[in-house]
Amino acid sequence: MKTSLLRKSIRLLTSANCIKSSIPVILFLTVIGLKLPAHPLSGKTSTDFKIGGTDKNFETGKTRNIYKAFYFQKKPVADTVIRGRVTTKDGVPLQGVSITVKGKNKGTTTNETGAFILSGVLPSSTVVISIIGFESQEIKPAGRTSLIVALEPGANTLTDVVVTGFQNIDKKKFTGAAVTLKATDVRMDGYTDVSRMLEGKAAGVSVQNVSSTFGSAPKVRIRGATSINGDNKPLWVVDGVVLEDIVNISNDQLSSGDPTTLLGSPVAGINANDIESFDILKDAAATALYGARAMNGVVVITTKKGRSGKPSINYTGNFSTQLKPMYADFNIMNSAQQMSLLAELERKGVLTTGILANENYGVYGKMYSLLNPDANGNFPLQNTTEAKNAYLKKAALTNTDWFNTLFRNSLMQEHSLSISSGTEKSQHFFSTSFYNDNGWTIADNVKRYTLNFRNNYTLSDRLTVGFLTTASVRQQKVPGTLKRVSNPVTGEFDRDFDINPFGFAFNTSRTLSEYDETGKLQYYQRNYAPFNVVKELQNNYIDISVLDLKLQGELSYKITKNLKYDFIGALRYVKSTQEHQITEGSNMANAYRSAGTSGIRNKNKFLYRDPDNPGSQPIIVLPYGGFYNRTEDRLLNFDVRNSLNYTNTIADKHNINILLGQQVKYADRQNFNNTGYGYQYDNGGIPFVDYRILKQTIESSFPYYDMTKNYDRFAAFYLNAQYTYDRKYNFYGTVRYDGSNQLGSSRNARWLPTWSFGGSWNIDEEGFMKNVNAVDYLKLRASYGLTASLGPATNSNIILKSATTNRTFPTERESVLQLINLENADLTWEKNYQTNLGLDGGFFKGKLTFSLDVYSRKSFDLISTIKVSGIGGEALKAANYADLTSRGAELLVGGQVVKRKNWGWRTSLTFGYNDTKISNVKNHPLIFDLVKAEGGNTEGHPVSSLFSVKFNGLSHTNGVPLFINQEGKQSTDVYLQSDSIQYLKYEGPVDPKITGGFANTFTYKSFSLYIFITYQAGNKIRLYPVFKTSYSDFNAFPKEFNDRWEMPGDESITKVPSIVDAFNRAQIGQAYPYNNYNYSTERVADGGFVRLKTVSLTYNMESNSLKRIGFNNVSLTAAAINPLLIYSDPMLKGQDPEFYNSGGVAQPIQKQITLSLKLGL
Amino acid sequence: MKKSFQLFYCCLLLVITGCSKYLGKEPDNRVSVTTPQKISQLLGSAYPKANYQSFAEMMTDNVTDITEGPLDNRLTDPYFFADSHETQEDSPEFYWFRCYTAIAAANQALVSIKASPDSALLSAQKGEALVARAYSHFMLVNFFAKFYNDATSTSDPGVPYVTEPETVVIKQYDRKTVKYVYDMVENDLITGLALINDNNYVQPKYHFNKSAANAFASRFYLYKKDYARVIQYANQSITNNNFAANLRGWNTTYANISDVNQLQSTYAKATENANLLLVETQSLWARNFDNNRYGLDASIQRILFKRPEPLTGAIWAIKQYSIGSVHILVPKINEYFVKVSVNADIGDPYVMVPLFTAEEVLFNRAEAYAYTGNSVAAIANLNTYASTRFSNYSATTNNITAAKINSYYATSNIRDGLIKAILDYRRTEFVHEGMRWFDILRYGMPVTHKVVLGQSSSLITLTATDNRKVWQIPSSALLSGIALNPR
Repeated sequence: MKTSLLRKSIRLLTSANCIKSSIPVILFLTVIGLKLPAHPLSGKTSTDFKIGGTDKNFETGKTRNIYKAFYFQKKPVADTVIRGRVTTKDGVPLQGVSITVKGKNKGTTTNETGAFILSGVLPSSTVVISIIGFESQEIKPAGRTSLIVALEPGANTLTDVVVTGFQNIDKKKFTGAAVTLKATDVRMDGYTDVSRMLEGKAAGVSVQNVSSTFGSAPKVRIRGATSINGDNKPLWVVDGVVLEDIVNISNDQLSSGDPTTLLGSPVAGINANDIESFDILKDAAATALYGARAMNGVVVITTKKGRSGKPSINYTGNFSTQLKPMYADFNIMNSAQQMSLLAELERKGVLTTGILANENYGVYGKMYSLLNPDANGNFPLQNTTEAKNAYLKKAALTNTDWFNTLFRNSLMQEHSLSISSGTEKSQHFFSTSFYNDNGWTIADNVKRYTLNFRNNYTLSDRLTVGFLTTASVRQQKVPGTLKRVSNPVTGEFDRDFDINPFGFAFNTSRTLSEYDETGKLQYYQRNYAPFNVVKELQNNYIDISVLDLKLQGELSYKITKNLKYDFIGALRYVKSTQEHQITEGSNMANAYRSAGTSGIRNKNKFLYRDPDNPGSQPIIVLPYGGFYNRTEDRLLNFDVRNSLNYTNTIADKHNINILLGQQVKYADRQNFNNTGYGYQYDNGGIPFVDYRILKQTIESSFPYYDMTKNYDRFAAFYLNAQYTYDRKYNFYGTVRYDGSNQLGSSRNARWLPTWSFGGSWNIDEEGFMKNVNAVDYLKLRASYGLTASLGPATNSNIILKSATTNRTFPTERESVLQLINLENADLTWEKNYQTNLGLDGGFFKGKLTFSLDVYSRKSFDLISTIKVSGIGGEALKAANYADLTSRGAELLVGGQVVKRKNWGWRTSLTFGYNDTKISNVKNHPLIFDLVKAEGGNTEGHPVSSLFSVKFNGLSHTNGVPLFINQEGKQSTDVYLQSDSIQYLKYEGPVDPKITGGFANTFTYKSFSLYIFITYQAGNKIRLYPVFKTSYSDFNAFPKEFNDRWEMPGDESITKVPSIVDAFNRAQIGQAYPYNNYNYSTERVADGGFVRLKTVSLTYNMESNSLKRIGFNNVSLTAAAINPLLIYSDPMLKGQDPEFYNSGGVAQPIQKQITLSLKLGL
Repeated sequence: MKKSFQLFYCCLLLVITGCSKYLGKEPDNRVSVTTPQKISQLLGSAYPKANYQSFAEMMTDNVTDITEGPLDNRLTDPYFFADSHETQEDSPEFYWFRCYTAIAAANQALVSIKASPDSALLSAQKGEALVARAYSHFMLVNFFAKFYNDATSTSDPGVPYVTEPETVVIKQYDRKTVKYVYDMVENDLITGLALINDNNYVQPKYHFNKSAANAFASRFYLYKKDYARVIQYANQSITNNNFAANLRGWNTTYANISDVNQLQSTYAKATENANLLLVETQSLWARNFDNNRYGLDASIQRILFKRPEPLTGAIWAIKQYSIGSVHILVPKINEYFVKVSVNADIGDPYVMVPLFTAEEVLFNRAEAYAYTGNSVAAIANLNTYASTRFSNYSATTNNITAAKINSYYATSNIRDGLIKAILDYRRTEFVHEGMRWFDILRYGMPVTHKVVLGQSSSLITLTATDNRKVWQIPSSALLSGIALNPR
């Protein structure tokens, strides 16, 4: 800046009218080695000017010429009024730029034309011009009364602030590890969930899209896992208030596909266009003020505020389409290949007419059923070899494209409108948005409405208040689904009546078809009842509605010059309803009334068996109607914070900031669910309830409705102090004392102190760095602290729950209190010591910036189960004893590599490495807990590690897979409920060790091209479970079946097991070798991938064109999201490495094309 | 400045005390035991919900190697007298844990009773808690410690007798001695017995009612060889001493039930008079008792159900069925399957176990009569039993007499003959129920099991004083300073 002022001065020198202007003049009298130029003022005597200084040495750029200078200045005026205008370097006016006088409580902001008026500026003052997203400038007006300032776009400068939610800290003074991301850099047009946008954007933040259905949360980890059984998700904070979860979704539940997961994303109700910035707080110093909730890191979202000036109106419209999945991307046989396999099954005696009595059948069962005469005595299909072959041939040529049937190229629209206006005394921001997705599948759609209204008032010099109202309403429809049930007996997850469209298309034979040749719906059999997927999706669905309302008030009062009082209070109310509607025509309802033959009656589990009459035949208890099942979740949350803030700068060198505060949180959650039997959708909505269906429910010891309440009470006190010496050395320390009722009402466990401290050294401020021009900034940071989190145990006092006894006869049952957990007087919070070292640097005027962090974390007092003597009454206790260590490194490299008048290139690369190891845990996981796709926890391995049953070849006689079983012996049968895990093979963690992203923005004139790549590595994935002991003619077969064992000897050339014939299936008996195969070493792939996440091209209309049409800005963006998986393990064969194909409401991430229009008025 | 600090300090104090109340809210709908009704409900959990029948039965001479049928470690281990590594239902470890869980519930109830302002009104609950606590300890000491013996029990290690709730994760316990455990059991049992009130129960058959508690006392004193007390409590156990009306009607009501499922479910029904105390247990015994490789076969059936029965000359009315004509069963173990959700195919199997029956009380009394020299009364008791157990029973022709006993058991000492007869009847009566194991322990009998390997077979023997007669304590008890049993 010194140089630029000088150059301007030289120009002024040659200007004749400089004297007339009030701009300060620097007059160079001599240049060393050169002759003294003519003095423009010589001979003139003026009362207006005086010699304002003595000789001074100036340096300029590289030439280092030494000038001798005098400067003239207008005679001192007490106060100056400065008028000016701030624009971008392209001349676009910037609104809302803060103009302050350094060291003074004086300031203003620019209006919509970028103009400002700042009064009362002393000539010696420095004016600071700053706005988020641009490099701040400090200008000494030195008498000038008009300033035209062009701001440079900021590139990871250290001049920004870190918003912790409690404080806004100058980055220069900050000692913690945090990343500030501007919403404009993060936003992915056409994406609605802001948590997904963080993928690859910040080093050390891993985002895995385990399902991408609207409302479901991705698996977000900041610096990996800190807890074994507790939560590992970060804390979300919006405008200083923690966003409480509506329902708590555990680590494993996240990928379950259960309908509850659609309430999992805490940020689903936030309009991405309202967001100003994200601050991701990573280490103990950064998260310190969240104390005992900070163990997993914090994401702070700051929303937009109103700015003074003429109303500015902004509109954003996103129009997206999601591409249908295609069979070409997956490894599924076509109908001809499938038919040849079915023919083998027929030859092997699996597909006989006996399958008519099977739970499910497809094309063969249909054929056998057509051989029977219809109502008129006609035979739909002649029982001749020719007729049957013709039928089967037709099926072989069907090649139904289920993806085409069940998916569509959807249209998603998002319209967002915001109005910002205000004066110096009051500012308003209003925004509203409407999002409508008509559904990627034929069974889902979403509408979301949001409202955001924010008012800030400056009532006096001392008092400011602010009010914030946000609301969102969501209406969503998803395919009907029940909760999945883990079945450790077979090694599967059971979900009755699953009609997830992706799962259906993936798992259903292409020989089946939606319509028959006459255009009527074609029915096959599922659950002993007729089934057609399209009809079922119309008759079995869940309507979800969510209302989320937040009222927030803020008050700030300046008690003295240095002491400020702040209040922030928020009320949030969320209500969500899931209405699972199952009409009488649905397969699910019909399954309850399928009792055609005695064989079916005996096998159909949806019929009622009277325990008082054990010999009797099962009977139908849902004769009419369907179901209306309702689940409601409610959250009422208050959060109140009071704090005192003292700031002072002593002798211009000692900068002190002390914060003392108190916080209270209150959250009540209620969950209610109810099964409505016999609701007649077509019959005026009258329920027809057979009392025996309730009797059945009660006899099975299940409540037919259920309500649970949770009460969360939390209080905290905190003290934070910062000290900076001479802009060079910063010290930071926090203590916090948290209290919670979540461990139980015992007093002992309730309170926990946490603390942290840190220091940083601004190396660039040192004298010896003054001459190093290449360095913009260089900072070394270190921090250490204790953070905590509540573990998954609440038994600081004894926990008893009411239950009904499991006795054969209902008349003998009674209500008892069961001992769930004994008192654990030593119960405490899960804790974590974190050490962080960081180095930040910026070079060559933003051409290169980097930020490097290394950290180590030691979690202790983690809750895990331990097997104890049981003498106290509890054999497996949850106790605070487990330890977990993790280490990692993060690197961010970026910069504005090229910046020319017409074109530029900005790049940034993030890299995060994290490795966890459970150093102490004495839990007793079962084999099933460790081999399932979500992985499990054992000592000596990372959190959520995947293990496999060791595959030991195929049987020579029948091609059935062999394993090393729980006893270390070769067997077809592995007992998955055994806790003998020493014969399993450790595969690797389920969560990636390495994550990151690579973003590039190329600009040329008004165009900018953005290419963003994400990557991850170091984890293992369980392949989809496609092998079964018995296949029906309903199932789709993957192409690996082409390599299957077919005759003895094949076991030496293939590892794909045979398809069992009817005889061998009987021989296998109660063992599940094929399910075990799904959990074997053969069915694991590497999780590393490189994904082209976004490519977008934006056109920003130039300012002179804008003026003509009267807009402030117009831009148009075309983007492709997830267009390409550049690399993944070839073993995956089309399986998405992030997605858990768990059925229910889960959907893989889609390929999406978006057109986005932004208008500013 | 100083003043403002004081003010601030006061405020802080106020805030903290306010917080204490605010944070005292329970986080969920957990129950706190405050009313008499809740204490009664808590006592519903004071019974060991684990089945000892399987493991105990498989160590007796009621089973053999049938050479056919599936294998299951929970049956194979006890058959081979091996320490089991199984931890799930039907294993000793599971039984150990569930007994102590029951004890914890009883202790928690006692704490609540003590804390209750109207503890005087809670004497019935206190009685049940004490007797239930005594029962679990009594069963534990008999299985996991050397059997009671006046001479050595003062030094034989017992099992920890727990009298207060555990509040820390790992607490240290002391096994003390078998004598100590017996003394504690006696103390709790006798104190509690006096307080029990049957009117207090919703389901009296699933709680220590007066009758069941007296039956427990009769068993306790029988094991302690205090025969006068056995008779005293046995007499108090069955109303009006009317045993005949309270024994299972094998030759009457049961004979009329043709459906085996019906019969099986009747056996452990609360309405069956013979059942004095029932408990629901998580167990696979109903699936395993009649089809595994090791079990009851025809050769043992011929010993248990002699045709005709020698003392009465009558045919047993106890119904015997067979599976695959090699596995023999008496239909008395019934499964109740608790599904994980309404329409699930998986879940937990339960078995209702009669812990005390009228038959046992009758046998206890007969044995006590025999030892106290009242052989007439003992024989009368056996005739009461016989009158309900034999088809077409006739009091004249099928009458058991001293002469018949002496003759069949080839003894001139009627007491010895009576004891042998009682043990044989007990063995038949309680087949599949594991009660034989206690007779083996009481009388120090050896047990021999046949092991078939291909064409050859061998024998394994559990000697009279074998260390393996004492079940091994779960190794996790080492954490609590509990020494394991010698091997």
